[in-house]
Amino acid sequence: MSTPTGTSPTPIWRVVAQREIDTQLRSKAFRISTAIMLLGIVGLTIALRLLGGQESTATVAVVGDSATGIVAAADDLTEGLDDAHRLEERRVADTAAAEQAVRDGDVDLALLPTADGFELVGADSLDPVVSQALTAAVSQVVTQRNADADGVDLAALARGTSVGERLLNTDVEDADLRSSAAFFFVLVFYATAVTFGSAIASAVVTEKESRVVEILAAAVPIRALLWGKVIGNSAVALGQVALLVATTAISLAATGNTDALGTLAPALGWYVPFFLLGFVALAGVWSVAGSIAGRTQDLGATTTPINLLLFAPYLLAVSAGDQVKETASLLPVISTMVMPSRLAEGEVPLWQLGVALGGTALATVLLVRISARVYEATVLRTGRRIGYREALWMRAD
Amino acid sequence: MLEVLGLTRVFGDTTVVDDVSFTVAPGRVTGFVGANGAGKTTTMRMLMGVLAPTSGQVRWHDAPIDAATRRTFGYMPEERGLYPRMRLRDQLVYFARLHGIGAADAGARADALLAHFGLTDRAGDLLDELSLGNQQRVQVAAALVHRPQALVLDEPFSGLDPLAVDTMIDLLRTEAGDLPLLFSSHQLDLVERLCDDLVILAAGRVVAAGPVAELRGSGPTRYRVVLEGQDAGWLRDLRGVVVEDVDGTAAQVVLDGLDAGALTRAVLDRGGLRELALVQPRLSEIFREVAR
Repeated sequence: MSTPTGTSPTPIWRVVAQREIDTQLRSKAFRISTAIMLLGIVGLTIALRLLGGQESTATVAVVGDSATGIVAAADDLTEGLDDAHRLEERRVADTAAAEQAVRDGDVDLALLPTADGFELVGADSLDPVVSQALTAAVSQVVTQRNADADGVDLAALARGTSVGERLLNTDVEDADLRSSAAFFFVLVFYATAVTFGSAIASAVVTEKESRVVEILAAAVPIRALLWGKVIGNSAVALGQVALLVATTAISLAATGNTDALGTLAPALGWYVPFFLLGFVALAGVWSVAGSIAGRTQDLGATTTPINLLLFAPYLLAVSAGDQVKETASLLPVISTMVMPSRLAEGEVPLWQLGVALGGTALATVLLVRISARVYEATVLRTGRRIGYREALWMRAD
Repeated sequence: MLEVLGLTRVFGDTTVVDDVSFTVAPGRVTGFVGANGAGKTTTMRMLMGVLAPTSGQVRWHDAPIDAATRRTFGYMPEERGLYPRMRLRDQLVYFARLHGIGAADAGARADALLAHFGLTDRAGDLLDELSLGNQQRVQVAAALVHRPQALVLDEPFSGLDPLAVDTMIDLLRTEAGDLPLLFSSHQLDLVERLCDDLVILAAGRVVAAGPVAELRGSGPTRYRVVLEGQDAGWLRDLRGVVVEDVDGTAAQVVLDGLDAGALTRAVLDRGGLRELALVQPRLSEIFREVAR
């Protein structure tokens, strides 16, 4: 009479997972925290762009043909700088007109011919970068002109004077970017894990408190409930992190920070699997934190051990020395926070990634299995808070 | 046929349910009656597999019951439980889907049950926005949503007003049909109205069980006599009759040697008979007697 006919029924864990996903997506807390993180990322990339490369343009008044080629040469010189100063030439009739334009603020400065060369005329002050560039350009252009007039081969004259630059540490420019990305990775992991984890724990204790768990236990295998919760919440958390990673990549690309994107791409890519494993490993434990609590007020006490478990690697990832970090990045579960931050800071040997992921995968399987057993044994025991140690040895009643 | 055999549950040093056996026949409504703490809820929880028995077993169609069969039952626990912050319809659909019903079918079933309880226009409301009576209806709907093979309802009528009780009885009669239905209650008048069979529990033990009619017939046979214009006190002098109560012209008697025909003749000979009727013992009396 009640056995479903026709198409095979949806597996229970999927029905449960679907409900968890719907509940999360509908919750204000989830929507707001996602929006804040997205805004944070977009804001940071824009700030990065603003701090990393401001472009300004100085307009230079010149009289007639006196300064032909000089402003263009100066513009070439400043173009390659971090803070690009572009120079633009505006031709005016005479010196008086040029000075008037400077006074009126129509131009930033004037390059005026004098008896023995040129002078730079500004209103109150002169931008040192612009005046250096113009001075160098004058020297370059006029020397060339003189050389041409005297039939001197300037190139021959300057032979052997070229000075190049080479830095041994090519990462030096990215150091700030890398360390802030590393910090941000850890922060997002920590925030997401705590937000979703608390949501799982409080959902479980609500089911206990509202006694709905009694009906659920009569209707479906208790473990299917746990799988559904772990899978549903992990899916939403993973979706959120993927969205954050994609937003980071897109906003870096959109603001022209392709260098930064190139630097961070491997770390961004590895971040997702590490996050997923780390989250799943703890999702089961969060469920247990809910199932051993008697009522919502107990959650503070039952979630303390997990909060510590999360906070320790957070501290390590943010503040520990390289040696400690390297060791921590290989430990199961802890690695899921420390390794992405190391990846953001620089190269990590592939074998270390393997050890970290492999160990965490094993620990995840183990933790989820233990959690399932404890959850099963405790979720129907309403009334009082059960200690972790006691819960570990309990059997389903 | 749902059967409970020697079910026992011990908590610490206390035996809460002690060797309880009874059957719930298909198509019959079985009332489960007992004082507070008699062990009704514990028995029902073991029946549903939510609590493991210390010993004894639950049988379905003459074989030990398995988890899959239990999950086809409809269960309403004593402590009501639904998601307080979930919409009614979503909630019913969710429970239906947990039982393996497809999304479309689950939706149709939820709508039908909401309509039966007159909650159609509240379908989108959160559970905790409803009155307690309405929450109770949703709770029953949740127990019925998957078209169960048997129903185990712990105090389904508690907290309902008389009108809601009528709707509920209506619904249970329609839905239960040929199913075994076991429900517990404190309200003996309701049990009397609804039940075919009765199981009475006292201090963890079954003290009486069987069809309601049989249980009623097992006690002494009482008659009510009402006379026309004369005191009924003379009945005290009649042989073979024990008068339990006299109130003016009316008396309640228990036959003790005299049969019903002889009593009727004796009263007719005296003259002025207005009423002579068999008094069915009320369930509450049976209950008081056996649960003592």
